[in-house]
Amino acid sequence: MTWKKKRILPVFVVLILLAFPFLVSQFTVQIGITTIIYSILGLAFALSMKVGLPRMDIAAWWGFGAYTSAVLMKAGVSFWLTALIGPVLAVIAGLFFFSICLPRGMMAFFVFCMILSIAFYQVFGSVPVLGGWGGITGLPAPMIGSHELVTKTELYYLCLALLVFNIVVYYLLYTSKTGRAWNAIGSSLKLSSSIGINVVKYRMVNVLIGNFFIALAGSFFVGYYRAVMPAIFSFQAGLFILIYLIVGGFSYSIAGPIFGALIVNFMPEYFRFTREYQSIVTSIIVILILMFLPMGILGWFNLKAKTWLVRRKWYPEVLR
Amino acid sequence: MSLTLFFQLIVNGLMSGGMYALVASGLTLTLGVIKIFNFAQGQFYMLGAFITFAAVEAMGMPYPVAILASLFCMGLLGVLFFFGIIQKTMSQGFFATMLVSVLFANIINQVSIFTFASKDQVLAPIFSGKLVVGEVTISTGKMVVIGCAIIIMVLLHFFMKTKIGTAMLASAENMEVAKLQGINTRKIFWVTMAVGCGLSGIAGSIILPVTGAYLMMGPNVFLRALLVLMLGGMGSMSGALIAGFLIGIVESVAFQFVGYFNILAILVFVGILIYFRPGGLLGKPMPIPGE
Repeated sequence: MTWKKKRILPVFVVLILLAFPFLVSQFTVQIGITTIIYSILGLAFALSMKVGLPRMDIAAWWGFGAYTSAVLMKAGVSFWLTALIGPVLAVIAGLFFFSICLPRGMMAFFVFCMILSIAFYQVFGSVPVLGGWGGITGLPAPMIGSHELVTKTELYYLCLALLVFNIVVYYLLYTSKTGRAWNAIGSSLKLSSSIGINVVKYRMVNVLIGNFFIALAGSFFVGYYRAVMPAIFSFQAGLFILIYLIVGGFSYSIAGPIFGALIVNFMPEYFRFTREYQSIVTSIIVILILMFLPMGILGWFNLKAKTWLVRRKWYPEVLR
Repeated sequence: MSLTLFFQLIVNGLMSGGMYALVASGLTLTLGVIKIFNFAQGQFYMLGAFITFAAVEAMGMPYPVAILASLFCMGLLGVLFFFGIIQKTMSQGFFATMLVSVLFANIINQVSIFTFASKDQVLAPIFSGKLVVGEVTISTGKMVVIGCAIIIMVLLHFFMKTKIGTAMLASAENMEVAKLQGINTRKIFWVTMAVGCGLSGIAGSIILPVTGAYLMMGPNVFLRALLVLMLGGMGSMSGALIAGFLIGIVESVAFQFVGYFNILAILVFVGILIYFRPGGLLGKPMPIPGE
């Protein structure tokens, strides 16, 4: 057998992800799609945390991509073209905004991003071309040839492809020379600049790559949701994106946000019996996770639970 | 623009600006001294207004006593929030405490939707009547709110000059060295939290006779308080005061010209100002987490 034992878990995960729409109800597939979109946003946040920049403007750029796509699709441009134009415009706009605040250090960036987030939300809501507070509705579905992607299963595979693309690009980036420079900046800013790493340049590259993927997620979100509303992209909504990384595990840049998004998005479904108190129960559980699992769920599993299971011989032999 | 209208705009601006300044100085105090970004500050403001309403209407307390009750309750809630939740997450750094406060704000919001905040409450005006100076007419209630806000800011200023206030500033500067000097930093933590949250509560209770209490007052004021924090410089008390009144006036005057686009006007105003002064209006604030 050329297969190593270590490969069993990833193969299993991929099979589950591919078979997911056929195993569960259409409603759960819908939650799966939102989870994928949110985990892409969480991945972009983990990317910026690599260089020590907690960005608060993820919802803003997500909305930027979504609104660009929506406006262009309303004007009759095909979905695939808008999914290219939106991210490129987001990178150009990001270059303009971030060149103002990024060279001034982390706190100026943090503050400026909050302003950007609030400002974008206000612009989405109050500019008439963007549909006001009601947003733009009734957008066309993405097309492949003459086939419309309307069923939840097709959209699930579309978004899954985007997620896989994201993971591959991030993995290649993290293992490249750039990724090593980011790691250095994240662990010590002064040390890394003393060994000749251009901190501002690397940080700028980092946030612009993040911008590209966030806006791409926005475009795909429009393809799935077929409507945009300012409330989706509000500052408060953006804050909840930041939770995924912490819940999943701070030191897991790729698995952490995905796992966190999975937990935070699917948990409300299992507390459906709590009815209108669902949001409260979810918040309380996330607070408890933050309080008692400081390394996040993945970190807790790897450091504590795994050794405990192995000691009692309950851990499956193939996964070792 | 007639003179009356101009002065009324300024008074409205000063009134809402006073609220922004009070909430933002609570925010800036907790951020500067104990390095916690308390996103529940807006919700404490809303709770303060509702508690004052309950104290006046249901328990029949006189209004000034109700203000003190709201200050005490919000301070207590802040201390409980600190000891119950924040303290356990502080070891994970600045970011985790911030997220915990976001979730706590969400819980307060949801609970109040189901219980007391399901309908807006309006208190009978305490100070009716108008102040007439020449051709300018100004409502007395609003003037009292401005006066109260300024008095509280002055009291806060003197509080920071007392022994515990200087201890707070010292631990803001360097927690380790403050510990070496014999400052009880555990005490500083909860006192700061109580003062910060109490400031929000008292702001909510003094605005109550003018605007009434409603659910959205928390998030509304908190967004402006964030802008005040950015404009005044994070961790700067006097910066928060000046920036609060400035933003209030700009918002109120812009409303006259551009209607509900006024929030965009403030955003542009703040954006331009922090482009030129990224550290805040007044320069050197307290040290904050970061680089």
